[in-house]
Amino acid sequence: MSCKKFLIWFLFVISGLLSTALINLFAQPRISNIRYEIWVELDNQNKMLSGKEVISWLNKTKDLVPDMWFHLYYNAFKNERSSVIEESSEEGFGPFKIEVKKGEWGWVDVMSISLLDGRDLSSTMEFITPDEPLHPGDQTVMRVRFPEPIKPGEEVHLQLEFKSKIPRTILRSGYYQNSYFLGQWFPKPGVYEEGKGWNCHEYHLNSEFYADFAEFTVHITVPENFVVGASGRQIEAVPNKEKKTMTYTFYQENIHDFAWTADPDFIKVEQEFEPDKEVTQKEYEEMARILQLPLEDVKLPNVKMILLIEPEHKSQIERHFKALRAALKYYGLWYGPYPYQTVTMVDPPFRTESGGMEYPTLFTSGTSILRSKKVLSPESVVVHEFGHGFWYGMCANNEFEEAWLDEGINTYSTGKVLAKAYGPGVYSMAVNRIPLAWFLKLPSAYDYESDRAAAINVVEFDPITTFSWKFYDRGSYGLNVYMRASTCLCTLERLVGEEMMLRIMRTFQMRFRYRHPKTSDFISVVNDVTGRDLSWFFKELFFSTLNFDYGISSLHSEESKKYVRGVFEVEGKKEELTSKKVGQLEKKERKSGSEKLYITKVKIRRFGEARVNGDVLVKLRVVFEDGSEEVRLWDGQERWKEFSFEKPVAAKYAQVDPDNIWLIDSNLANNSLRLKATRKGIWRPATQFLFLIQSFLQFIAAWS
Amino acid sequence: MKTLKAFGQGFETTNKKIRMTLYLWLANFLFSLLVLTPFYFILNKDFSRSLLADQLARGVDLLWLGDLIYKYRDFSSVLLGWFIVPGIFFLLLSVFLNGGIIGQIASQEEKVSLSNFLADCGKYFFRFLRVFLLSSVVFIFVFGFLFKIISLPFDLWQKNASTEWPLLFISNIKLLLLILIFSIIRMFFDYVKVRLVVEDSRKSLRTAVLNLSFIGKRFFKAWGLYLLVGLITFISGIVYLSVYQPLPKAGFMLFVAFVWQQAYFLARTWAKILFFSTEYHFFNVFSYKESIS
Repeated sequence: MSCKKFLIWFLFVISGLLSTALINLFAQPRISNIRYEIWVELDNQNKMLSGKEVISWLNKTKDLVPDMWFHLYYNAFKNERSSVIEESSEEGFGPFKIEVKKGEWGWVDVMSISLLDGRDLSSTMEFITPDEPLHPGDQTVMRVRFPEPIKPGEEVHLQLEFKSKIPRTILRSGYYQNSYFLGQWFPKPGVYEEGKGWNCHEYHLNSEFYADFAEFTVHITVPENFVVGASGRQIEAVPNKEKKTMTYTFYQENIHDFAWTADPDFIKVEQEFEPDKEVTQKEYEEMARILQLPLEDVKLPNVKMILLIEPEHKSQIERHFKALRAALKYYGLWYGPYPYQTVTMVDPPFRTESGGMEYPTLFTSGTSILRSKKVLSPESVVVHEFGHGFWYGMCANNEFEEAWLDEGINTYSTGKVLAKAYGPGVYSMAVNRIPLAWFLKLPSAYDYESDRAAAINVVEFDPITTFSWKFYDRGSYGLNVYMRASTCLCTLERLVGEEMMLRIMRTFQMRFRYRHPKTSDFISVVNDVTGRDLSWFFKELFFSTLNFDYGISSLHSEESKKYVRGVFEVEGKKEELTSKKVGQLEKKERKSGSEKLYITKVKIRRFGEARVNGDVLVKLRVVFEDGSEEVRLWDGQERWKEFSFEKPVAAKYAQVDPDNIWLIDSNLANNSLRLKATRKGIWRPATQFLFLIQSFLQFIAAWS
Repeated sequence: MKTLKAFGQGFETTNKKIRMTLYLWLANFLFSLLVLTPFYFILNKDFSRSLLADQLARGVDLLWLGDLIYKYRDFSSVLLGWFIVPGIFFLLLSVFLNGGIIGQIASQEEKVSLSNFLADCGKYFFRFLRVFLLSSVVFIFVFGFLFKIISLPFDLWQKNASTEWPLLFISNIKLLLLILIFSIIRMFFDYVKVRLVVEDSRKSLRTAVLNLSFIGKRFFKAWGLYLLVGLITFISGIVYLSVYQPLPKAGFMLFVAFVWQQAYFLARTWAKILFFSTEYHFFNVFSYKESIS
């Protein structure tokens, strides 16, 4: 690096550090151990980014750190040797196969890297592939060696120059025509873990991200007609009339990633979330009671809501804000106040395929021109992606290794918010982009019902806690991490009670806010808050592939016979009771008015491999003809157990898990058994199915 | 005017020979029951003794539907086969029944008897089977090749779209085009069948070629008539839905809903006969005119 260049760099760094220091005077105490200052310019013509980056990294560990590992995520789109593209090829055909057309590849080149004192580290740069199975051609992780190890408590300042070719959108980052959504676009260090070293995985098809909390100051230069949205709050916008560009500066502390978007067509709308208008005093008091917290701790702050929306979706502006207000309210009340001043929701530009993704203080929603109000979309996406601000954003688990901690918890949370704010949503079905809900009365469902329907199908593929890229396939990853984890959490909620579950989630969020929790931390919180040892619950349902299914296998209820056929000793003599004689004796008995006695026998079976454990027992309820009921408990360890009842009436039905706790049970139909069959419930689906078959055959006949 | 006259005559003939509607409906109903049978037994086995059956009675619910999907997920190919094989049989049955329909429409007898109907089914089966095979070739050519060429400019427009609007517009234009092309091909081969009956010809291919000139000369009249009957079918669907959807689906009302469903199928079957009878009269009116001139 030349002397002049070094001087410019030095001034850049000093001004960056000074401006950050000034901002810090008014900011929250520093939680992060990284500071970024990035200058990036978009070349719209060539779809390129040119960037300069200053990274200050503080070694908060007791280790001597000899090197630094960086994520170069854009190199996942460089060629067919990257882990992402090789993994997508293994998925075969279908929506998960990435096919990059000519000229649409993306990559990032680190042009130079040096220490603040000018010592060049470029010669030590090398690509590494830390993950198994090996993808030796992958270039998404880069290692740089320091001249001497960074001591505990020491801060190192690095400066980088990079150039990136933006891909035609792959995995939610890229461009289409003049629209951009840019996630994972800058060289970013991994997370240094004390005693273990750098946690810096390759970019995988089935995984999201992991990074340290940091302080970001990002200067984005774009053509002047572009509307820009980004993580954090905009603190400056400086035009350059000569170059016809605009430089926007965004700042945010305590976040671990930074994404931005630019599109000349965006409509920018801002609204204020005012908790006084959204939450009643009664709601605050109720929440304080449930969470056992002082009233002040559950109060919510004001938040500036920013929406960047495409003109063709203008009519849905209020739908977006309504959903965001609901999310801010319930996530805030239940899990803790949203601490940032802004939240930016981006209706992704057309064909940037960047919808439904979360970044700190910014997320993408997703909608289309024609939407029925009965279908909760875009609402469900808005709520879910905002919710990631809590589960991923602040409670920042390692998404490579334990994706369920954000995806599963957030899917569970989304379902709860949607149920509370909107009730069940109508199935989203469309023909040629025209919603069928406009014309037909479609069924509706709560999220927990659809999640459970998906979850039970993937139990046997992988444990929920599998590393993201090591799942059987993308289907198993998605359904296990989102739906199965969410269904298990719903089950946990039913097991411990709704209020207790709220206390668990709140404690987990606040205890691990701005930290990197692990599954073991979640289990500890569950055990701490409930005062019970529920570790077995996670062992059976999260760490294993065991199917959960308890059911009733048989129910018999028969009148106890006082007289039966055969030879009996009567006063020392053998006497045979024939059918005729038995009949006569029974008739006599009935005349005497003696009470009937029924013997009811119920067999419960453990059809699945998973078992209840600890202080939890399987509950059996038997309801009799006179309306009386009997309840029995079983430890559920053996394969089956028989229970017997003697009552003056016959049984009507037997039911295992009558409180519907075990939502993850893969066969709810066998949870109950009536003594007598009834076809009442079957006629409706049967006639509907008949109608479908008739329609199908009519359609076929049209070709004759 | 002649087209409307053909419509009126067709309407009259369809109503006079209403018994055919019952035959056709019965064929569809019994065949559907046959296909339904295994599914009914599955529902019966899994739910007749379960309390979850109460939820079945309330309509589609993902709890019981999820259970079914989970239990029978490995049978998806069997399920597909169970629809494809009866589908093919029903297609052949329809080819068979078409002979009866047109034969009876053309018959001078006022009343339709089952024996005469079946006799006509048998009489025209192989001729109509050839027409069906010929129409299949045309369908494959048009939808597998020609339609792709027609779609090219649309696809190009779609590829370079800057907003979602063109996509919405194009996909619906393409669907409409698809329906209209389908209706033209179907109409054309309907007239081939009518002509085979009227002329009592066995030469399907020759009749199809001759039909080109007949339809070509009065295409819009014939197509207008066809679309008019199509509109009636479409309206019957809307009427069905608007009555069916608000109906409660429990207890006696479930039975009412079932009856209404079958009434709808009767209406659709009636409309199918109306297609043929209007085409028959249209053909007679214009072929008579042709023979005079």
